[in-house]
Amino acid sequence: MKCKVCGKEAVSAYCKFHEGAYENLVKGYEEWKRALNLSWKEYLNGVISNEYSGSWVKEVAEQLLKSEG
Amino acid sequence: MAGMEKYALIITEKPEAAQRIAQALDYGGKPEKNAEKKVPYFRAHRGKELVIVPALGHLYTVVHEQGTRNYYPVFNFKWAPRYLAERNAKNIRTWVEVISKLAQNAEEFIHACDYDLEGSLIGYCVLKYACQGKEKDAKRMKFSTLTKEELEKAYEELLPQLDFEQIEAGKTRHEVDWLYGVNLSRALTLAAKRWSGRYATLSTGRVQGPTLKFLVGREGDIQSFVPIPYWEVGAEVEIQGSVYKVEYEKKKIESRAEAEAIVEACQGKTGEITEVELKEFRQTPPVPFDLGSLQAEAYSFFGYTPRRTLSIAERLYLQALISYPRTSSQKLPPVINYRTILSSLSKERNYKNLAQGLLERAELKPNEGKKEDPAHPAVYPTGNLPENPLSDPEKRIWDLVVRRFMAVFGEPAVKQSIRVNMDVNGHLFYLHGRRVLEDGWTRFYEPYIKFEEVLLPPLQKGEKVQLRKVVREDKFTNPPARYNPSSLLKKMEDEGIGTKATRADIIETLYSRGYIADRRIVVTNLGFDVIEVLNEYCPNVVSVELTRDLEEKMEKIQNNSEKREKVLLEAVDILKPALEGLKEREETIGEVLSDAIKRAKIQERIIGSCPQCGTGNLMILFSRKTGKRFIGCTNYFKGLCKTSFPLPQRGTLKPMQKSCNACDWPLLEVRAKGRRPWRFCFNPNCPLREAREKRS
Repeated sequence: MKCKVCGKEAVSAYCKFHEGAYENLVKGYEEWKRALNLSWKEYLNGVISNEYSGSWVKEVAEQLLKSEG
Repeated sequence: MAGMEKYALIITEKPEAAQRIAQALDYGGKPEKNAEKKVPYFRAHRGKELVIVPALGHLYTVVHEQGTRNYYPVFNFKWAPRYLAERNAKNIRTWVEVISKLAQNAEEFIHACDYDLEGSLIGYCVLKYACQGKEKDAKRMKFSTLTKEELEKAYEELLPQLDFEQIEAGKTRHEVDWLYGVNLSRALTLAAKRWSGRYATLSTGRVQGPTLKFLVGREGDIQSFVPIPYWEVGAEVEIQGSVYKVEYEKKKIESRAEAEAIVEACQGKTGEITEVELKEFRQTPPVPFDLGSLQAEAYSFFGYTPRRTLSIAERLYLQALISYPRTSSQKLPPVINYRTILSSLSKERNYKNLAQGLLERAELKPNEGKKEDPAHPAVYPTGNLPENPLSDPEKRIWDLVVRRFMAVFGEPAVKQSIRVNMDVNGHLFYLHGRRVLEDGWTRFYEPYIKFEEVLLPPLQKGEKVQLRKVVREDKFTNPPARYNPSSLLKKMEDEGIGTKATRADIIETLYSRGYIADRRIVVTNLGFDVIEVLNEYCPNVVSVELTRDLEEKMEKIQNNSEKREKVLLEAVDILKPALEGLKEREETIGEVLSDAIKRAKIQERIIGSCPQCGTGNLMILFSRKTGKRFIGCTNYFKGLCKTSFPLPQRGTLKPMQKSCNACDWPLLEVRAKGRRPWRFCFNPNCPLREAREKRS
């Protein structure tokens, strides 16, 4: 299986780097939702435009936005 | 060459040390300077004839006993002159020849290199190999400064033999490092070469691998970081005509709605002081500098990398201005004579009043730290004043060492912190003040103290205060901080890997191999891939625990509680399966690394974003027709941008990652043989272009 973001070898949908980023992204949503009452899509856009977000997290968020339309 | 008369041959580590020792030991203070084939040596008279000859750091190194560079594993090694192993060490041959010749007429041998692992090993190898087995008869000079007094004392009180335990520990360290470095670097380099057919040096080492692994771990945390929103409430109060910032009781507010409610409740309200808390605290003087803390302080105040600080400190040591800097000690024993040092320093205008103030005290007792070093005390000024003008960096480091030395004898500083609690419509705000009551040791160390006073007017419980402004501040949590060369060195120290002498060089190697970049360290793709390969196929060689364990065993050799042979066998036991793992997967590893090298090479050619189209990157490209190089936009291949600029065809080009002061376009550095490197702005309309052309 290839990573959906970078095309590297992967056991699941993502390589181990992007998998870690994906897990953090999912965990982070709970806190963003509590703080700002955002939808998942608004959250992903928020993460992409945030200067402190890691680049792997941004890549995963972009990939999710694309795939979820 | 020295005459036929018999003499004592004194071996030093570097030419500057030879000169210092010759001057100190010669009765007239004027030794005769000689040179043979450009190798300097000195003749001095001190009751008998002395010949003082320097090494040039390590003259001998570990080499593969026999065979080519194209295979691994290699476990058979020997010690040999460096010119046999390194291409750019040809001058070492002459050096060894001259020392060997001088040794022929010597009747006594004295080892006077620095008293630590490296120094002891340097002198030992010279005595054993260049002086034909004189290491057993040689005596040892032990000193921590190159001052005349200490050198004379060290010569009068020669140790009857060499410090063999220290030498054994130094030898083992070099041998273990060679086994790791040669085998692992060859495994990586050969895997990449066999896959791509191209040669590119890839290296790793016993300490280099685990160090890079810390960085990769931190980089992973940063790249996977999701910032979490939170809010702060900031406010200002007006008291007796002055405005002060106050802090809300809760530092992090987790929802915007809650923050907005607080702002609304406090806006335009008057508060009441409910409590004024005063606290006094004593700040003890700092402890004397060991090498690590000197490097950390120099990075913090001057931005010098650990390696730069070490090299400046070594120059100051060779000028007899400070004591030996490669020390782990935070102790200053009375034998160094505090009063003599302070009395000499008081002759310098800048330190006169401070040093005299200390000299007036009946007792001088330094505030020492816990760390000890059996070979040397902490870094301290010798009291000698510069004979020649110092460079600015030398002046700074010397000043830092002098002021730190005086500060450790100072009284504790007494400071006061004030917290005023104020209730505003049921919400609590804090006003903080701080001031110095007694400056104590800080007056000695003043330029290097970061403390800002916030003075408050007298305030009473029950007093009313007017809130001028209350605002909601939107914040996000920050990713973990990147390491910088100084914090990475501290991390290596804390983890117990590497030695005080090698840590700074290991960090520089990571930069020079292209595994890391920038002051706030960023791991490159190549760095990631190298660690990924090592982690997957031979995790033991990047294991911090195993590295620390080996480090501790090597330390034990120095105390005679561990044997060199055992440690070497243990290193081989770790390496053997690791190398087998790498060999088995050579093809896969080769593919990963070749790909990473290719990407790194492309990255090296990227100059910056294209100023014309704004979306592409400018890159150094080569014309298919003429083979000439030029700058082109990466969007050219998509048919979107045709921007191109000519480039000089001679010399090597390197993007500087800096912009031109006049036009803000990216700058390039050109290095050509026989010319000084020069900066180059390729913008044809750069306002400075005409001026540059006129100058050239």
